[in-house]
Amino acid sequence: MSTSFEKYQKRRLISSYFSVVISIALVLFLLGMLGLLVLNTKKVADHFKEQIALTVYFKDSAKEVEMEELKKSLAMADYTKSTTFVSKEDAAEAHSKEIGEDFMEFLGYNPLQNSIDVYMNADYVSAEQVDEIAAELTGKNFVDEVIYDKPLISLLNDNVKKISFWVLIASGIFTFIAVLLINSSIRLSVYSKRFIIKTMQMVGATKGFIRRPFIWQSVKLGIIGAILALIGMAAFLYYLDNSFPELDLAGDIKILAALFIGVFLTGILITWLSTFFATSRFLNLKTDELYY
Amino acid sequence: MSETILDLKNAAIYQRESLILSEVDVTVNKGEFVYLIGKTGTGKSSFMKTLYGDLPLTEGEGTIVDYNLRTLKEKDIPYLRRKLGVVFQDFKLLTDRNIKDNLLFVLKATGWKDQKAMDHKIDEVLDKVGMKSKGFKFPYQLSGGEQQRVAIARALLNDPELILADEPTGNLDPQTSVEVMEVLQDISKNGNTILMATHDYALLLKYPSKTLKCDGQRVFEVVQKSV
Ligand SMILES: Nc1ncnc2c1ncn2[C@@H]1O[C@H](COP(=O)(O)OP(=O)(O)OP(=O)(O)O)[C@@H](O)[C@H]1O
Ligand SMILES: [Mg+2]
Repeated sequence: MSTSFEKYQKRRLISSYFSVVISIALVLFLLGMLGLLVLNTKKVADHFKEQIALTVYFKDSAKEVEMEELKKSLAMADYTKSTTFVSKEDAAEAHSKEIGEDFMEFLGYNPLQNSIDVYMNADYVSAEQVDEIAAELTGKNFVDEVIYDKPLISLLNDNVKKISFWVLIASGIFTFIAVLLINSSIRLSVYSKRFIIKTMQMVGATKGFIRRPFIWQSVKLGIIGAILALIGMAAFLYYLDNSFPELDLAGDIKILAALFIGVFLTGILITWLSTFFATSRFLNLKTDELYY
Repeated sequence: MSETILDLKNAAIYQRESLILSEVDVTVNKGEFVYLIGKTGTGKSSFMKTLYGDLPLTEGEGTIVDYNLRTLKEKDIPYLRRKLGVVFQDFKLLTDRNIKDNLLFVLKATGWKDQKAMDHKIDEVLDKVGMKSKGFKFPYQLSGGEQQRVAIARALLNDPELILADEPTGNLDPQTSVEVMEVLQDISKNGNTILMATHDYALLLKYPSKTLKCDGQRVFEVVQKSV
């Protein structure tokens, strides 16, 4: 009988849901990728920071015990990630190999010193903290000098700060746009039912009762959108991880899980809030104001 | 048997800033059947709207089924409307669902839980207005008169203390008008109170009852013969 018309209506409904789901999915996907970027700027920055070494040169007069002692105490320190002891013989050998001739032949002695390379944890790699560590080490009477690339450290930190700042700004703007976008698609779908909402109020339904099915409907769309976004993110991660295994993107499962859960909850939260406010808008209007 | 259901004293009714009715003194007792007549645009619907809380009462006194219209809070409005059965002049059916679901929505919204009881109640009220076989239809698939009957059925769902019917026979042919009137008369005989706005003077003659008239921004009671 009336089936063709009902089918048409249903199709219209589905296509309007479809656009909401797609915009939610897209926005959450991009938000998720941004989250991934934020998580990984730290990882990449830390990776670089932990390449930076502080070299402690011992005086020739330093005793074996003293050097052993320092090695141990360094290994115990919070800021140490790893240390390597380079004896003067090893250094000479490496140096000879580098310049391609045995310089000790014509010098007649080994001018190089025993040293320790200290690789620090990323959190300690800032100009001030490295200065402090160096000063402490220099203060020991068997240490000749402590050498590190101070400009490099400042440069690295400045750039990390700059990049993090912009990534954060971008995330902020992006989240804002995301919320606006989802909000306006939801507003549109609620707007199309404004007279129905008003009628529901006329027959004695409370605001909460009217709002509930609207919220549930949007949250369902939010969940579908979020799932699509997560599938997209997983696929993208899988591809990246295959193409660039050295980045170790999938390394920290816990953080990754937190990101996925976060994206999922954001999808629910945004749709919930948007629907809440969109329905409130019409619930609080007087009947004639609907026509304006 | 003279419990007051509706009482307005020196009330004024406004649409936005324009005064529609003033110095309104109306009392309706339990069990009465009251007509509200008046020319188009004299404020019958505005009067009704004030009673179900769609227009605020800002001047004078007003009580309806134990709610004070002057101090009515927004959150009380749904509960006031549950005590009233309103038949709107423009029906106000939910266009996105069929007749059964329209009625079901009202029942659920007003706290019904038992599915069997709800089905039974829906059949009962649809039967009263002769629409039992059309429960699966959507509002847009019904004629104006059929929609009007559904609107009446909906007003009956919660056995309201007061039924406000705004031209419930406005779209019906004379014979169907009489049928609908019979329904309202039956309900009235069961002890329900009814306030009905109408243009249909034939009905007034056929079913004489207390009559209020809107004219010249006033509401006053008229004696039947002089209508
Ligand atoms: N929403 C509104 N805003 C401003 N003025 C309105 C509004 N609704 C109605 N009015 C005015 O209020 C007056 C009374 O209107 P109302 O609808 O109460 O008349 P009525 O007696 O019900 O007429 P009818 O018999 O045609 O239903 C009219 O002059 C109308 O122009
Ligand atoms: Mg009217």
